[in-house]
Amino acid sequence: MADATPVPPLAPPPAGGVVERAGPAAGHGSRHQGPPLLEVEQLVKHYGGVRAVDGVSFAVPAGSITGLIGPNGAGKSTVLAVVSGFAPPTGGRIRFAGRAVTGLPMHRLARQGMVRTFQLARVFGGLTTLENLLVAVPGQRGLSPLGVVGGRWIWGGEERRLVKEARRVLRRFGMASKADDYARTLSGGQKRAVEIMRCLMMRPRLLLLDEPMAGLSPRLVTELERILLELRDEGLALLIVEHELETVDRLCSTVVAMAHGRVIAEGTMADLRTRREVQDAYVVG
Amino acid sequence: MEFGVAGVANLAFIVVIAAGAYTYAVLTLGPATGNGGFQQYIVGLHLPFAVAVLAAAAAGAVVGVLIGVTGLKRLRQDYQGMVMLVVSLMAATVVGADAGLFNGQAGLSLVSNPFSGSGSASGDWTYVGVVALSCVLGFLVLRRFTGGPLGRTLRAMRDDEHAAAAIGRSVVNLRLLTQAVGGAFGGVSGALLVGFIGGWSPSAWAYPETLALLTAIIVGGMGNNVGVSIGTFVIYLLLLQGVQFLPQIASHPGLTEAFGWIILGVTTVAFVWLRPQGVFPERRPRFRHHPEDQELDAGAAAGTGLSDSVGA
Repeated sequence: MADATPVPPLAPPPAGGVVERAGPAAGHGSRHQGPPLLEVEQLVKHYGGVRAVDGVSFAVPAGSITGLIGPNGAGKSTVLAVVSGFAPPTGGRIRFAGRAVTGLPMHRLARQGMVRTFQLARVFGGLTTLENLLVAVPGQRGLSPLGVVGGRWIWGGEERRLVKEARRVLRRFGMASKADDYARTLSGGQKRAVEIMRCLMMRPRLLLLDEPMAGLSPRLVTELERILLELRDEGLALLIVEHELETVDRLCSTVVAMAHGRVIAEGTMADLRTRREVQDAYVVG
Repeated sequence: MEFGVAGVANLAFIVVIAAGAYTYAVLTLGPATGNGGFQQYIVGLHLPFAVAVLAAAAAGAVVGVLIGVTGLKRLRQDYQGMVMLVVSLMAATVVGADAGLFNGQAGLSLVSNPFSGSGSASGDWTYVGVVALSCVLGFLVLRRFTGGPLGRTLRAMRDDEHAAAAIGRSVVNLRLLTQAVGGAFGGVSGALLVGFIGGWSPSAWAYPETLALLTAIIVGGMGNNVGVSIGTFVIYLLLLQGVQFLPQIASHPGLTEAFGWIILGVTTVAFVWLRPQGVFPERRPRFRHHPEDQELDAGAAAGTGLSDSVGA
C-alpha cells in the first residue's frame, strides 16, 4: 500500500495518438496506489457511424482515486458505460482484478465487485432509504429458494444484522433521519448519497462514479469529498468522471484527460493543468 | 406479483389461465374417442383432481416463461406489454383454428366437477370450499415471494431496472422467475375455474379478460396483496358478474353485459388519474429500531450530513 511507483500504461498509445504521461503521480492518495485493479486497453465504442470512444487505454490502481476528465462529448461517460457493462464495447479489452471481463453485463460485473452510479442518480423510489441499502446486499438468504420457502425462519436473523449495518452507513452519511422516507421524496443530493451508500452495501472493490458532485451545494461537495477520501483510505478504488476540476484535484492521484473519444493526457491534475493539449481541449474543444 | 410488485406488464396473463384450464380439462376428461367424436382434443387421461391441478400449475409456469422469453430480453416495459398483448391474440387465434388440439372455437366441455358425486348442490359447495382454501393457501405462498428480500428485489427492479442491474441483479432472470410463479398461479386458477364451470373455449380467454385483471390490481392497490384480493372481488364478482343480474333491455340485448365493461373502463381511467396507488396502497415496511441505534442516530443527526441538504 505504500508503493508510490506510478502505474505504467497498459498498452502503447494508439497510432497517431497524442497521449503523453506526465510525471509520477504524486497527487493525493498516491501512497495508497497498488497494482492495477482495472485495466482498460484500446477500448472502442461505436454508435452507428459515430466513434464515441476510440482506442482508450488506462488503468485504475487498487486503493486509489482515478479521475476521468474532458469537455462535453469527450466520451467519458461512454467509457464508464462500457467499462461497467452498461453498454457492450465495439473493441478493446477490459480486465478487472486480473480477469478478462470484456463485454460482461453490468449485473455480472457488479457481482465481481465493480459497481457504478449514474449521471442522474437512480434510486428505487418506491423503496425507503433503508430498503435501498438493504436491497443491494449480495447473496442474501432470502433470495435463495430455501429462503423463499422458509421465510423469516431462514433470513430473519441475517436481515436484523443487515439493518444494523445499513443504519451505520446511513449515520456515516448523516442520513439516519431519512431511513424510513421513500427514496423518491429525497433531494437530488440525498439521492446521490443513497446511490453511493447502496454501492457500499455491496462491499465493492471498485466504485465507478459518474459526475458525483453534479448539482451538489459547495458544502455537500466538501462532505462527499471527505467521505470518498475515507473510502479510499479503507482500500476502495474509485474511478470518477467529473467536470468539477477542483474536486478532481483534491481527490484524484491520477487523472486521465479525454477529448474526441481519445485519451490525450494522463497524470496528476496539477500536471495536466500545464498541458497544452488539455487546455486546447477545454478552450478550443 | 407480476404487475404490482415486479412491474411486469403481462398483458398475456389470460393465456396462462387458459393453459391451466386446458391442461386440467384434457387431463381429467377421458380419451376423445370415448365420446363419439363430440369433441376432439389431445391426451384424455382421467387423472385425479389434485394431479390435474398440479399439472395445470406446471403448464401455466412453462407458458408464462415462454411468453416472458418472447418479450423480456431486450424490450422496454411498455413494449413488452404490447408484445404480450399480441402473443395473447395469437394464442387465442391458433387454439381456435386448430380443432384437433382443444376442439377449436367450440372449446372443451363436459369437464365434470370432481366433487359432484356427493350430490350436485353439495358438490358445488364443496368445490367452493376447495377454491376458498386454495385462495388462502395461494395468498400465503404469494407472501413468501412478495415479502422479504425477494419482494424487495422485485420492487427495486420495478422502480429502475438499470439500477437493479447495477447492484448485481439479473433483470431477465428475475422477470422470468416472476412469469413462472405468476404463470403457476394463473394455471391453478384456470384449472379451478374450468373444473367448476365445466367448459373452456377461446371466447373465455379473450384479451379484455387480462384488462379486467389489471383493473382489479389498479383499483385494489398495486403491490398490496390484500388490496388486490379485494380489488379482484369487487371487479370480478360485484361488477362483471353483478351486471348479469340487471334486467335485460329488450331493444338492446347484451347491453347490460356491456355496461360491466363500460364501468370497468371508466373505473380504470378514474383510478389512473385520481388515485393511481389504488384503494389500498403498497405498505411501507417498518424495521425495528433498536434503542442503541436510536441514540447513535440522534448523535449523528446533531453533526453535519446530507440529510439537511435542503435544495441540494
